[in-house]
Amino acid sequence: MNKRIEEAYAKRPKNWVYNTVLAVITIGLIIWSAGVVETSGSTAGGGQIARNVLKGLFTPDLKFLFDFSTSGVPYLMLETLCIAFLGTIVGAIISVPLAFISASTLAPKPIAFIGRMLIMAIRTVPNFIYALAFIRVSGPGPFAGLLTMGVCSVGMVSKMYIEAIEDLDVHVVESLDAAGCNSWQKIRYGILPQLMPNFASTAIYRFDINLRDATILGMVGAGGFGAPLIFAMNGYRWNEAGAILAGLIVLILIIEFISTKIRVKLTRG
Amino acid sequence: MKLYDKIFRPTVYTLPNGKSVEKKASRAPFYALIVLIMCAVSVKITGFDMKILVTRIGQFFVIFQRMIPPKKEIMSAVWEPLFDTVKMSLIGSLVGSLLSVPFAMLASTNVCKNRVVVSIVRLMFSIVRTLPTIVTALIATLFFGLGTLAGTIAIAVFSFAYIGKLTYEEIETVDMGSFEAMEAMGSTKTRAFITAIIPQVLPFFLSNCLFNFEGNVRYAAILGYVGAGGIGILLNERMSLKDYSSVGMMLISLLITVFIIESISRYFRKKLV
Amino acid sequence: MIKFEDVGKRYPNGFEGLKHINLSIEQGEFVAIIGLSGAGKSTLIRTINRMHDVTSGKLTVDDVDVMSLYGKQLRRFRRKIGMIFQSFNLITRTTVIKNVMTAFVPDMPWYRSTFGIYNKEEKIKALECLDKVGILDKAFVRADQLSGGQQQRVALARTLAQDPQIILADEPVAALDPVTAKQVMDDFKRINEDMKITVLINIHHVDLALKYASRVIGIREGEIVYDGPASDVNEEVLTKIYKGKVDNEGNVQEEEG
Repeated sequence: MNKRIEEAYAKRPKNWVYNTVLAVITIGLIIWSAGVVETSGSTAGGGQIARNVLKGLFTPDLKFLFDFSTSGVPYLMLETLCIAFLGTIVGAIISVPLAFISASTLAPKPIAFIGRMLIMAIRTVPNFIYALAFIRVSGPGPFAGLLTMGVCSVGMVSKMYIEAIEDLDVHVVESLDAAGCNSWQKIRYGILPQLMPNFASTAIYRFDINLRDATILGMVGAGGFGAPLIFAMNGYRWNEAGAILAGLIVLILIIEFISTKIRVKLTRG
Repeated sequence: MKLYDKIFRPTVYTLPNGKSVEKKASRAPFYALIVLIMCAVSVKITGFDMKILVTRIGQFFVIFQRMIPPKKEIMSAVWEPLFDTVKMSLIGSLVGSLLSVPFAMLASTNVCKNRVVVSIVRLMFSIVRTLPTIVTALIATLFFGLGTLAGTIAIAVFSFAYIGKLTYEEIETVDMGSFEAMEAMGSTKTRAFITAIIPQVLPFFLSNCLFNFEGNVRYAAILGYVGAGGIGILLNERMSLKDYSSVGMMLISLLITVFIIESISRYFRKKLV
Repeated sequence: MIKFEDVGKRYPNGFEGLKHINLSIEQGEFVAIIGLSGAGKSTLIRTINRMHDVTSGKLTVDDVDVMSLYGKQLRRFRRKIGMIFQSFNLITRTTVIKNVMTAFVPDMPWYRSTFGIYNKEEKIKALECLDKVGILDKAFVRADQLSGGQQQRVALARTLAQDPQIILADEPVAALDPVTAKQVMDDFKRINEDMKITVLINIHHVDLALKYASRVIGIREGEIVYDGPASDVNEEVLTKIYKGKVDNEGNVQEEEG
């Protein structure tokens, strides 16, 4: 056998120790977590309940589904849509300054670090706690819901804004610098045109998520379809719950379709 | 948008040498108008009121102020549900992600040639994704009783749809050249898939799984609200007792946990992609 | 020996990719196939290892009727024919050596192929193949970090690892710059001469074809319009192949009539 080849073979990266350790840790974690699969025991007659639930969900209450008064599904969906929309806008606006001070490429290191910690803290507080806090401000209802949505959006949206800002193409700014622009002009003509499509796209993406997350708000009394849904489910009125879920699925599919279209347009120009 | 161009005529610039260029009217004002109208409708329906917000915003911070100082004694009761939350997310994410793989393959046009199957699987992913996790959790508690199992299942269902969608998008954009090369060397389709396609998709798949897990730890904290296990049960209980200093301690412990998990996950995701 | 007897290929949409091809290629020949894009070069090459089916006539490789093969037999048949692609078709996210070792996958037991476990013998052999194309030092680098020329050499090493008797190359240098293209062509030539492997190459660069190949086949609209030694290719022949668009320095000319 050729000597050079033997040498090359001997020089092969040997990372089996690392791989084995990683595998052992992963498997250990899985075994550790598997212990979690515990339950207070299936409620009596689980099968019967399951059948009722499925039957109700697949035969939605059509009268409720097509009730166009303020107590019907369409209005609930509209309300949720409005909460999510305005909440997203509020969140998207708050996120802009927060993202700029937390971007490590623009702001000084300590400030950026504090900004990031703040964003993380905002993200970690569960949304029903915000909802309860805002109910103290405005009383129960959609207003509290939209404020909650706003704050909850800040976490993810500003995180994605930061990434967009850090990925900025600085060569454009360089060329503007060379052309003799001042700081404001550099931001206006060099940075904003790059960021705008990205920011808009992020906001639309978050709008999608907010629609789904609106359920939990309703549960604590902050408006939207959550409250009627939970009442229906707790009262075992499964066809009512089915009607709300059907409305929700249709709404989300439509919004998702539109938002994907807009986002594709934004990124491709 | 032909209609738009008819209503708002393009501006025509004529150069001194007689040549002319057309500039279509900007659509920005049109889009801005739509957004404004939607805002106005939303303000009306949600009852948004700046005056209330400005005068009463102090109330928002009351709860958070009362969380300080956090009650350290509660920690002895926090450890278990906190770890339960992590475990639920881990096992739920794992099960959901693994289950999604065969379906993701069926939903990729370059692997599954049957258009009907592709659209059906995709529609299924979309519908499952629309189900709010909290609702899945609630239904799961009815099937499997209160406890962590219900939460785990809710997380698995969400992960299934989320990872499934990302994975089929990833498989679709894969370079099929190496697959063709494997076939030309005499591989069966299965082996060609395993050898040529999986190494291309795997790093993204694992990275997405880690990201999903990260997010699920946060989300699992909420699931306790419907009795589906984890720290949420305790949080909800303490909130309703207005024992805010305990809530504060729990939030701090959750924050630290999430921070650790995110750091580890980010380290591995950077290595992967 | 590869033998085409009145071979024709009609696509499902009715387009005739190949018409009445009669050809026989001896073991150890270096053949360049030239012609316009869409003339049928790719189709011709891909019928040999049956990546494409022929629809009429008879195609035999070492007296085996290619169209009679299926399943396992076909895959075993393909083992002795290597294929090189214009876009390299490497698994970009893994190391060079692992790419070369994929050549062993069809012969490995399923559990080793599934988990990608290779033994020392295979690793040494892969390294030897990389040495033959001069990129031994890149063995443990990720494939996507190499330049185009180096990637094509990895693909060549992968093909060598399967011990082929025939190498089919579909536009192997089309994506490379002139200098790298020359280096890769040198590799082909060396392999052809040292190991007596038949090389069939589709190529757009007429100058490279004439310089390296011993035999040139010209294809136009699915038919062979020239088949002979490279030294006999003159302007008249090229006019016939390229409908008068190229002279033998590769310059494009105005179409006549």
